[in-house]
Amino acid sequence: MRVPLSWLREYVETAATPAEIARRLTVSSLEIERVIEVGVSDFDGNLGHFVVGRVLAADPHPNADRLQLCQVDVGNPEPQQIVCGAWNFGAGATVAVGLPGALLPGFAGPLEERPLRGEVSRGMILAEDEIGLGQDHSGIMLLPDGLEPGTPLADVLPLVDHVLDATPTMNRPDLLSMVGLAREVAALCDGALRLPDPEDPPVTSPEAVDVAVEDFGGCPRYIGRGFRNVRVGPSPQWLRTRLHLAGMRSISNVVDVTNYVMHVWGSPLHAFDRAKLAGGRIVVRRAHEGETLRTLDGTERVLLPADLLITDGEKAVALAAIMGGLDSEVSDETTDVLLEAANFEPIGILKTSERLALRTEGSNKWEKGVDPHAAEPAAVLASRLLVDLAGAEPTGSVDVNDGLPERPVVTLRPERSRAVIGLDVPDAEQRSILERLEFEVDEGWQVTVPTFRARDVTREIDVVEEVARVVLDRVPRTMPLRRAVAGHLTAEQRFRRVLEDVVVGAGYSEAYTWSLVPSDPDPAALRLPDPMSGEHAVLRTTLLHGLVEAARVNVDAGNSDIRLFEMARVYLPSGEQLPDERWYLGGIAEGGFAAARGALEAIYGTFHLPLETRRTTLPHLHPGKAAETDAGWLGELHPALLEGTWGVFELDVARLQAPRPERILYEDVITYPAVRQDVAVVVDEDVEAGSIVDVAREAGGAELRDAYIFDVYHGDQVPEGRKSVAVHLAFQASDRTLTDEEADAARARVVEALRNRFGAELRG
Amino acid sequence: MDVEALEQAALAAVAAASSTDAIESVRVEYLGRKSELKLALREVRDRETGMTLNAARERIEAAVGARESELERAELDRRLAEERADVTLPVGGYERGHLHLITQIRREVEDIFLGLGYGVVDGREVESTHYNFDGLNFPPGHPARSPLASLFLDADTLLRTETSPSQVRTMEAQDPPVYIVSLGRVYRRDTPDATHTPVFHQVEGLAVDEGITLADLTGTLDFLFKALFGQERRTEFRTHYFPFTEPSIEAYVSCHVCDGAGCPVCRHSGWIEVGGAGMVDPKLFEFAGYDPERYSGFAFGWGLERIAMLRHEFPDLRELWRNDLRFSGQF
Repeated sequence: MRVPLSWLREYVETAATPAEIARRLTVSSLEIERVIEVGVSDFDGNLGHFVVGRVLAADPHPNADRLQLCQVDVGNPEPQQIVCGAWNFGAGATVAVGLPGALLPGFAGPLEERPLRGEVSRGMILAEDEIGLGQDHSGIMLLPDGLEPGTPLADVLPLVDHVLDATPTMNRPDLLSMVGLAREVAALCDGALRLPDPEDPPVTSPEAVDVAVEDFGGCPRYIGRGFRNVRVGPSPQWLRTRLHLAGMRSISNVVDVTNYVMHVWGSPLHAFDRAKLAGGRIVVRRAHEGETLRTLDGTERVLLPADLLITDGEKAVALAAIMGGLDSEVSDETTDVLLEAANFEPIGILKTSERLALRTEGSNKWEKGVDPHAAEPAAVLASRLLVDLAGAEPTGSVDVNDGLPERPVVTLRPERSRAVIGLDVPDAEQRSILERLEFEVDEGWQVTVPTFRARDVTREIDVVEEVARVVLDRVPRTMPLRRAVAGHLTAEQRFRRVLEDVVVGAGYSEAYTWSLVPSDPDPAALRLPDPMSGEHAVLRTTLLHGLVEAARVNVDAGNSDIRLFEMARVYLPSGEQLPDERWYLGGIAEGGFAAARGALEAIYGTFHLPLETRRTTLPHLHPGKAAETDAGWLGELHPALLEGTWGVFELDVARLQAPRPERILYEDVITYPAVRQDVAVVVDEDVEAGSIVDVAREAGGAELRDAYIFDVYHGDQVPEGRKSVAVHLAFQASDRTLTDEEADAARARVVEALRNRFGAELRG
Repeated sequence: MDVEALEQAALAAVAAASSTDAIESVRVEYLGRKSELKLALREVRDRETGMTLNAARERIEAAVGARESELERAELDRRLAEERADVTLPVGGYERGHLHLITQIRREVEDIFLGLGYGVVDGREVESTHYNFDGLNFPPGHPARSPLASLFLDADTLLRTETSPSQVRTMEAQDPPVYIVSLGRVYRRDTPDATHTPVFHQVEGLAVDEGITLADLTGTLDFLFKALFGQERRTEFRTHYFPFTEPSIEAYVSCHVCDGAGCPVCRHSGWIEVGGAGMVDPKLFEFAGYDPERYSGFAFGWGLERIAMLRHEFPDLRELWRNDLRFSGQF
């Protein structure tokens, strides 16, 4: 919301500077995005170059068809000759004049006396856009008659102004109005409030205003006012300028009045051309299924029974609170006006405007909740202005409502405020803060909430907040006392951290990829019914897709040594409302199966877990290079998924951690040294290393402390279809040194078992 | 045999030896099996001669040993003086990766709060509207409840829009005192651009105890921001609105780039908005069955990406999700 301070200061008298006002509001009330300086520079007496002028004569320029040669009284004995390109005035007009030396916004240098087509022009008759008071450049500004020539223009128009760009939080729709902000500034900056309170113009030609509300739930209040002999035309300069500074466009005096009053009171109004309403009536009701309305923007809207309509009893004339209908719009021909100052319930309005993707200044206010009490002063101010600016004759007024909401009454314990805030705010100060915010506080601390805060302040804590926000700058910085509190990571959290560190140590960099993927191998994976895009439609059950894409990004970037991992949730369908969310660790690395296996060896080794891998087939893996473990899978990525030779793996972190012993028991491996023996056996090509070690361990018995394969050899020394496998065996007992005979016997058992199981031949 | 002359000759030879090879020859000549001394010792028949010869042998041995050490040390020094490695030549060989920037910040924040006695809670990401909205006192019609703002799986289930549901679950599961932080992914229907991604990370904090005040909240956040952005930072708090806290505030920290003077990072305001906070609304205590007269609490929450962007000044949030090693390897 744009808040011109010149306008705000009409409602609140304060010595505070623009910066002070912005600062106090920022801390205690609402966000001030910025303070915009507008208008002409007041540097070095520049304002003195702008004065009111009266045109004494305006004749065609002798040498130019498009120019007028004017003699203008600017308060000097001699008239000022000014050449002007506009034609919307003549002799007698009161105008704004920039004298030689005036610096205009957007001009590189000051105005100079200079000849124009042979006639000296000593200044400029100003259009509103030339000094930042509007956007119109179709003619010069016409000021009200009766202003004395030579009057400083700054006394008549806000030549220099500051505009606050203010954004209230959603609980403060009352701050979407000049009046609301004036109240806040009065309370925070010790100002005197002077709210607009014009005389309600008397009815001059009485005629009943016929309003019926069929749905008070959607429309708790409807004030209708009739006007006759309305003269639609342009708005006066002051109104055009205020609307401009507030970020609105001037349309016509009638429409401008509704927008202006909306900005003042925060309660949107609408003006209908009453001649277009059948019988001049208003009926507020819900739409019929499939009913249509052409709104002001020219769009045909198809409506649902949830949508609230303003009708004339026969047809829809406005989409309540959102946009008027095209057919009942006020136009230049309009003479009879029906003014709507109503109140609408927020949620229904929000739903309709969201469904139709139709957000307007009005709907934006209604959907946050507007004080129903604001409708009346808004109706009065609008009537006053219609009479004053458009010569309207009031014909009558009706206020249809189902009773206005009561003001909430809340009991405040001032000690409660102090306990919540942690600052000693004395009783008297709390009372004074609340009273300045227009809360009534009685002797027993019964607090009556003003109508414009009735939605937001209903409980003691809400009143405490009112005190807290005003003293927020003074709140000290303390720390909780923290009795009986100890912070630590859980075993699972520590495990995940170590896991991350191990994988990083193995050369993998951590990737973050989307939880939502285009598709998932699990057909039951959870699917968003209305995703943002097809790329983010399904909640993944595997990290693989994201990692493959991340690897592809790095390949395309020309990076080398690509190794990536991710530790994140997957979402397994559970049959319940909420999926089973599990932490998975996934990885991808250049180098094929060995790269994946290497990472898993590092992980399992770190946690002293045996890495037991079994051959498997999975659609995303190379069919001959795929394995599973108790916690997941590893393998070579199927080359159809990404060019190159990639190792990939994925582990369920909880399943990985589950077999980890709570503590590791000491074993004496120092006192009695191991007897180490290597054997090389020749076996068929398809005998797997894992099964050789398994058989060796089984045959070697308890004293076989360690068994691993340290070499696999194919070649001339070994027959076709066979391979030589070198196994390292370490025999050790924890209570004695094994004799060579004992070790030899154990070794022989191993060799014998390998022969029986695999037809293994001992190599010389 | 003239033992004295022999000893003199031996000691002279020791002194003259100029290499370890030469001293070895001296050892062989005077102390070896066929040396005059060894042969003489073998012939000894009387105690006195034996003692004299042995004493001479020990002295020669000591001299040889000492000279040998000296020469070895000199030879080592000579060799070392000649050996030289190019200490600037990289050797490679140790692979290491990098934790994601957000993980680094997550751990940093977790560690700060672990030090303050907070636990870390892993919330869940797919939530019911009960925990994501109702239990957090979101009024009907709040914009976040709209499918235009949030990602729904069905009418009652959605991807959590903030980490705050973990507050409700924690309070349901345990009695006060509660001191927790919860960090993780949250989801909004935001079109990805330089400052928005539909998935991002939040940190959520909750403290519920007897006597917790708004001043405790501002003090805790002041501590946190100084830990994250530097001890010389100042903090400021401004009134705000959230459905689940009352009073609600927004926290600002003085700009770490310009220290408040105004620069592009703080958009010339001198202050940087970090996130929202407030005193836990008593409504939430009702849901949890806590006595709001006995207990009070504070909560806060904001995006980790924001901290990352502010600290490292990279221009586009989407880089955090592209995983280009040229980007991630910088941190």
